[in-house]
Amino acid sequence: MPEASDERTRPVPRPLNVREPDPDTAGPIMTPGVGNAALARMIQRSPSGPAALPDLAMFGGNAQIARLVEGDSEPPAPGGGGAAPAPAGLGGGAHGEEVRDAQLKLSRVQASAQPLTEDGRYGPLTEAAVRTFQTSQGIAPVTGVLDPGTKARLDAAFAALPPPARTVLSLGATGPDVGFAQQKLNALGASPRLAINAVYDGAMWVAVIKYEFGTLNRFPTGVVDAAMWAALDAGVRGGFIAPEGQSATPVEQKTNSGTADSLGTQVAGTSLHPVTGVGGLTQGPAVKELQQKLNTAGAAPALKVDGSFGPLTRTALQAFQTSRVPPLPGTGTADKATWDALDTVAPGSMTGAVERQWTEEVGGHTYSMVGASASRYSWEILPTKMQVTVKVNFVGLPAPGSWFGFVEAVWNQYMGVDSVSGKKMPVDFRMTRGSGGDAMTVQVKPGTGRANAGEWFVADANAASTIPHEFGHLIGLQDEYQLHPGDYVRVTGHEPPVGDTAGAGLVAATVAANLRAAIMARSSANALAASNTAGVTGGAFAQQVVEEYRKLGPGTVPAVAAVPGPPPVPAQPAVALTGELLHDLDVALPNDSDRYETIQTFSYSSGSIMGDPGRVNDPHDHGTQPRHIAEFMAILGRALGGTWEAKRR
Amino acid sequence: MILRLVIADGSQSPAVAESVEVGDDGALSGWRSVSDGGAGWFAGRLPEAELASVRAAVEAVGPVAPEVPARPDSAQEVLELDATGPVSIAGISDGTDGWPRLAATARGLLDRLTDFPRAAVAVSHPAPGVARLIQRGADPVRLDLSAIAVRAVAWRGYYEPAGDWSEVVAGPGEVEAGPGWTYDLALGLESAAAPADGEVVVHLTADFAILNGTTRIPVRARHTPAIPPP
Repeated sequence: MPEASDERTRPVPRPLNVREPDPDTAGPIMTPGVGNAALARMIQRSPSGPAALPDLAMFGGNAQIARLVEGDSEPPAPGGGGAAPAPAGLGGGAHGEEVRDAQLKLSRVQASAQPLTEDGRYGPLTEAAVRTFQTSQGIAPVTGVLDPGTKARLDAAFAALPPPARTVLSLGATGPDVGFAQQKLNALGASPRLAINAVYDGAMWVAVIKYEFGTLNRFPTGVVDAAMWAALDAGVRGGFIAPEGQSATPVEQKTNSGTADSLGTQVAGTSLHPVTGVGGLTQGPAVKELQQKLNTAGAAPALKVDGSFGPLTRTALQAFQTSRVPPLPGTGTADKATWDALDTVAPGSMTGAVERQWTEEVGGHTYSMVGASASRYSWEILPTKMQVTVKVNFVGLPAPGSWFGFVEAVWNQYMGVDSVSGKKMPVDFRMTRGSGGDAMTVQVKPGTGRANAGEWFVADANAASTIPHEFGHLIGLQDEYQLHPGDYVRVTGHEPPVGDTAGAGLVAATVAANLRAAIMARSSANALAASNTAGVTGGAFAQQVVEEYRKLGPGTVPAVAAVPGPPPVPAQPAVALTGELLHDLDVALPNDSDRYETIQTFSYSSGSIMGDPGRVNDPHDHGTQPRHIAEFMAILGRALGGTWEAKRR
Repeated sequence: MILRLVIADGSQSPAVAESVEVGDDGALSGWRSVSDGGAGWFAGRLPEAELASVRAAVEAVGPVAPEVPARPDSAQEVLELDATGPVSIAGISDGTDGWPRLAATARGLLDRLTDFPRAAVAVSHPAPGVARLIQRGADPVRLDLSAIAVRAVAWRGYYEPAGDWSEVVAGPGEVEAGPGWTYDLALGLESAAAPADGEVVVHLTADFAILNGTTRIPVRARHTPAIPPP
């Protein structure tokens, strides 16, 4: 993982703060479409010319419009639900979702000194903010306890906050509100997704027209006016900058874009189950899962679920295989085809094992955990909790005992809550020592150094954060730093922040040209000078540069010999440029600080444990987040029924 | 040249930029930016037996390196052989045969390099409360010590955290460090976070810059004595 900022020697541009959206989001207004004549007129007036035709031509006929509206306007995944009843009072030491909710509101009503870290822990800063709020409201006595009366007043004060002032937008407009409108159009289903570049261009015009047409049920004007803003703001919350805390720190409020998938991209054609049985795993959770599913599928006699692959299990497995239509080979090996068939017949089980082959792209570079390095973990649903276990075969030096505690301190923060029944199930993670086909291998090296998913350093002074980050990879989670916009949305579940829209008065095309020149010269110093040093920071303007760079198209950078330095630079073969900025920066420039900081500007990072907390100081997206354990919520749902959500304990 | 290995990682601060090269005659040379043996230039000669071992590791591999994808968070590692040109070995774990053996050998040479300091500054812990910068080489080296970031980490038992202290210390500015040069820094760790009771092992890092012509190169000297496993 990237190193923490406390050891940095150069100033790092501080990103605009961002805040998670409120969990409850309303859906769009669904209305029937309008007629083809209006469509024809709009196509004629499209500012994108022929390029817009494929988008607008989709509106041919009201039936198609209705389908498109349904498809394009899918509301974000509902949040909330299953909330516990209001407590008698929350005070020091309290924890959970209600504390997190209170922290959000205390920051927004500017009762806290600084924006509060939404960690769901009722600590001294939260208590001080409650005291301040009680004092400002004339509540006596001032206790620092969020009693029902104080909570009601806090809720009321939060509800009374003024809505964001919006700017009417038309084609050619620029500025933060354009970026926020782009976020909301994306969140409400714009297809193709809009770049968050804060420029009202032809692509945004098409999305606005579609929204007016399909959702507002009005003749399209191409103008984001007060009525459309009202609909966008009602459709999805966030997307504005609010002062938080008494410090009035400007914090960009995140726009939720739907359900996050924080897992690495599964390699196509691979199974999530380890090969089990003959030639594969013959002991442990994978075998237990196999036995449970064979029983669900009708194994007779029913198998004892003991995690041991014996003759009875083998016979039952072969019987299952040969009874499929068409039959599977009766090999006694639970391979992908067999597991696929078992999952269809028996989706849920109370225990199981995962073997996840996955890839990620970070900073324009592809990394993988495949083959022997695939993520392997198991889970078991016990009467009172869900236990997730990663068995690690530590080679080299022994693993320090503190590492195991670091994992549990960071990861054991959540419980699953069934929104229907209200049932709660803590999810505990643990790392254990072990070996075998269901274990991960981690090499423990002496001294210190940069850890990766398979190499950890015994004297890592930052192990309290390093090890939990690498543990995240062991359970299949990908990195959340230096991502493309699309990956950022998928992984975090919210839209890329608008950030800086002005670019210090620079011209995006000029910055892009200067970057291309730096790339052709393989000069990371020039790349940094053309961007960060010139005043480019992360956000919408940087994405304008990305788009302008894309227009420069492909190219080739010749091979170069090694440079002895210092600092040394390895020999590099000729590389093909694609016009995709992150890729081109990655392949052509030396892997040094200047390259890293340049890529940082043109990509997106979260502040979570899987992101870059050293660079992204985000009190609202830090540590572990519910999205990181979503896989286990789905497993609970398949095994126990219901709809499970991760909530802070 | 028999081999050249470069490891680079700009996500770290100071950036990791390490190199080691073995010549046909056994000459070993390179640069370390983050190292226990000191940061700076190193040069020496491998004994014949070690050179033979390196040659054997090189000759045992084919002309095409396996394409093993790097794991998340990996640094760039480029190995250059006459037969192959530059190849990425970031995804190849240490092993005992073929490319894994060669990868382990090349990585090991980076550590071996520090036995031959030419112009390199290390940090040591000569007494409680003191971190000492030491010039280990015979050639002078110019340093920028205007701001030295010092961190001390104390461990008990087998790498159980027992204290952590860091500070940016204003130093003497630009200096030329000749052979035997030292510079002491006061640590706040032993007096505050972890008493020097003999059960505590202190690790140190000192971040400063080496000047090479007009180039200023941030580096880190480390002192991380091993703690024996229980």
